Amino acid sequence: MSASAMRSKLPFLGAAVRHNRVPSPYPWLMPVILVMGLFYLYPVIDVFRYAFTDLTLLGGEGRYTLSTFANVLTRPELPQILWVTFVFTAGSVIGQQLIGLAMALVVVRSEKRNLFGTTILRTTALIAWVVPGIAGGIIWKMLFNEAPFGGLNSLLRLMGMAPVQWLSDPDVVMWSVVLSNVWRGTAFSMVVMYAALKAIDPSLYEAAEVDGASGRQKLFFVTLPQLRPAILVNMILITIQTLNTFDAIISLTGGGPGRATEVLSLYTFNVVFRNYDLAAGSVLSILMLVISLGLALVYAAFLPKDEKA
Amino acid sequence: MRKSLLVALAAATALGCLPAIAEDLITSDRVGPSDAPKKMVFRMTGDGPSSTDPTWAAGYTKLYTDFINNHPGWQLELQMMTGDISQEQARMLEQAKAGHAPDCAAVDSFVLPLFKQAGVLKSLSPYFTKEEIDQLFPFVRDGITGKDGEIYAWWWSTDLRVLYRNKEIVPNAPETWADTKAAALQSVEAGMEGMLFNGSRYEGTAFDWLGNFWGQGGKLVDDAGKPVFADADNRDKFVKAVDYYRDLVESGAAPRRVATIGSYDDLNAAAAASTTALFVGGNWQYRQLENSMDPEEFAKWTFSMLPGITADQRSTGTGGWTVAAFSSDPEKVEMCATLAREIYMGPANALQEQLPTRADLYDKYDVFKSEANQTFAKALKVGQARPGVLIYPEISNQIQIMMGKVLTGAAATDAAVDDAYKAALDAYARL
Repeated sequence: MSASAMRSKLPFLGAAVRHNRVPSPYPWLMPVILVMGLFYLYPVIDVFRYAFTDLTLLGGEGRYTLSTFANVLTRPELPQILWVTFVFTAGSVIGQQLIGLAMALVVVRSEKRNLFGTTILRTTALIAWVVPGIAGGIIWKMLFNEAPFGGLNSLLRLMGMAPVQWLSDPDVVMWSVVLSNVWRGTAFSMVVMYAALKAIDPSLYEAAEVDGASGRQKLFFVTLPQLRPAILVNMILITIQTLNTFDAIISLTGGGPGRATEVLSLYTFNVVFRNYDLAAGSVLSILMLVISLGLALVYAAFLPKDEKA
Repeated sequence: MRKSLLVALAAATALGCLPAIAEDLITSDRVGPSDAPKKMVFRMTGDGPSSTDPTWAAGYTKLYTDFINNHPGWQLELQMMTGDISQEQARMLEQAKAGHAPDCAAVDSFVLPLFKQAGVLKSLSPYFTKEEIDQLFPFVRDGITGKDGEIYAWWWSTDLRVLYRNKEIVPNAPETWADTKAAALQSVEAGMEGMLFNGSRYEGTAFDWLGNFWGQGGKLVDDAGKPVFADADNRDKFVKAVDYYRDLVESGAAPRRVATIGSYDDLNAAAAASTTALFVGGNWQYRQLENSMDPEEFAKWTFSMLPGITADQRSTGTGGWTVAAFSSDPEKVEMCATLAREIYMGPANALQEQLPTRADLYDKYDVFKSEANQTFAKALKVGQARPGVLIYPEISNQIQIMMGKVLTGAAATDAAVDDAYKAALDAYARL
């Protein structure tokens, strides 16, 4: 169909096509822009605005100042809070990624072999994922309870082993918190990895088999390279999710003992809801945003170019 | 025949409807008919019909039913707070500042100064007589009175911390810190886990421990509200009180897990499981222990005043709950005051055996004539409320952090105390 014939068939597009212009996208985008602006952008702008004030929850109008930034970023406890956040995030992300991948591999493999229990495994992991953070924290608190009737220590005693100071030893408590977070978050990684594994072209495995590749070689030279984009995207998502986690920690340890498990998100929560310092909480929220964006950019740099496009 | 059938049918219908009407008057989130023309939103703690204790729940259900029957045309919408009181109160303060607070609410006495400072509370002075206000204990009256002399809440219950013990294992009440350590070690020898107390990131950690500091004459803040707990006059007392707890843990008189305890329920659980014979708890736990234990087991338990560095240097923290009004509607403010008066000022104290804040109520209700409550009332004489200053929540936060470091051996006492003091002063400078 020639251009003139098309113009005659679609008269309402005539003007735009005649002038070699596409219709304006704004009428179509406005609803989304409005919703995003109202529900997402406005609160973010407000956080930035508060960060340049000295507002508290206690009253007063506050005034615009840069001193809140200087004050918050030079607090002596901040380096420790950031270190605790780093350990918690790194431990959780690595744990969730590795165990999620392992579980997805097991599920895919067992599906291929029609093994009994695949659905049970998948469902069990998903149950942990849907448990609210606070509830998860309480469940683990009961398990880690160091009283003579505590869950895990009772099991250890039954097996003739010494009880562990899961929550009162500053060197152990972080790993207890990481364990509870990995338990809760692994299902998400499993689902992402499972979907990515299912999307791998089976002919790649057939070709590898023809070449005589072992199972280990197939994992390292076919599966993992094919999963790379999914792994990176998953890591971006679970890193941001972990950085924002505070509900599970607050119900498990409250950030203690001392500040041993006080991550940045919990510290921000405490600053706003316990110290009533809205401006300082806003500065810390911006710090969290910067860290999340920075990490996302680092991960994105490792994405294959075509995936980024 | 037809007539009698109709009568029987009508009677059955009426009888069937009665429970429905009764049920409809109180639901989990409403008291009063759903179509009542006037409604007041009341945000409350577990001190109400939804109490987890069945006896208290039944008692409150009756109190609320009688109340709403006495005030026809009203409906109370009940909003329950979670157990995280600090967070709940902070959220409510934020809502109040934005004009979205409930009409009436339970406000924890230790954060009441923040609400008064924010100017979000309505005066309740017109609804209470001078005699009623004068009957309040002085620390209570001071706590609810604003700078303009008006009262901005009704503080209806108070509490205090005591030392609970299993008489079979610890027959005599420890009066000093040294006695307490010896008694705790004795309980460890008897197979118990030693003395328990709140020691995690929790308001109770700071508050339960502060009696040890106050008993020596220590001061948290000066008259201007500035932290002074580790200045030249107070530092030694503060360090000694921290070292008392530290020594309990390091000597094995208390398990290290105290650094993870952040709930009075954990202490009840240990007592009920007979794994401890000594713990620092609140007066309200006495009734909880009675409700959760067999009578023979409960008979083994008693309590005494918190020990001091010497027997005559003792103190204890006193807290409690208030009812305050946020509504701009004078009719709702009055209803809020009426609710405080008719349900909480006396009847609720008697129901839950929560210590009243008015001296005359101890004589009015028989429950407060019991030996246990007389002992609590006596201990109240050395009671001390948390200072009603804006910096208190941060001081408490710093004490909790410091306690965690000290009890787990992560920091030396002096260094931890100095860090806490500096952080509190920095926070004060930012206020």
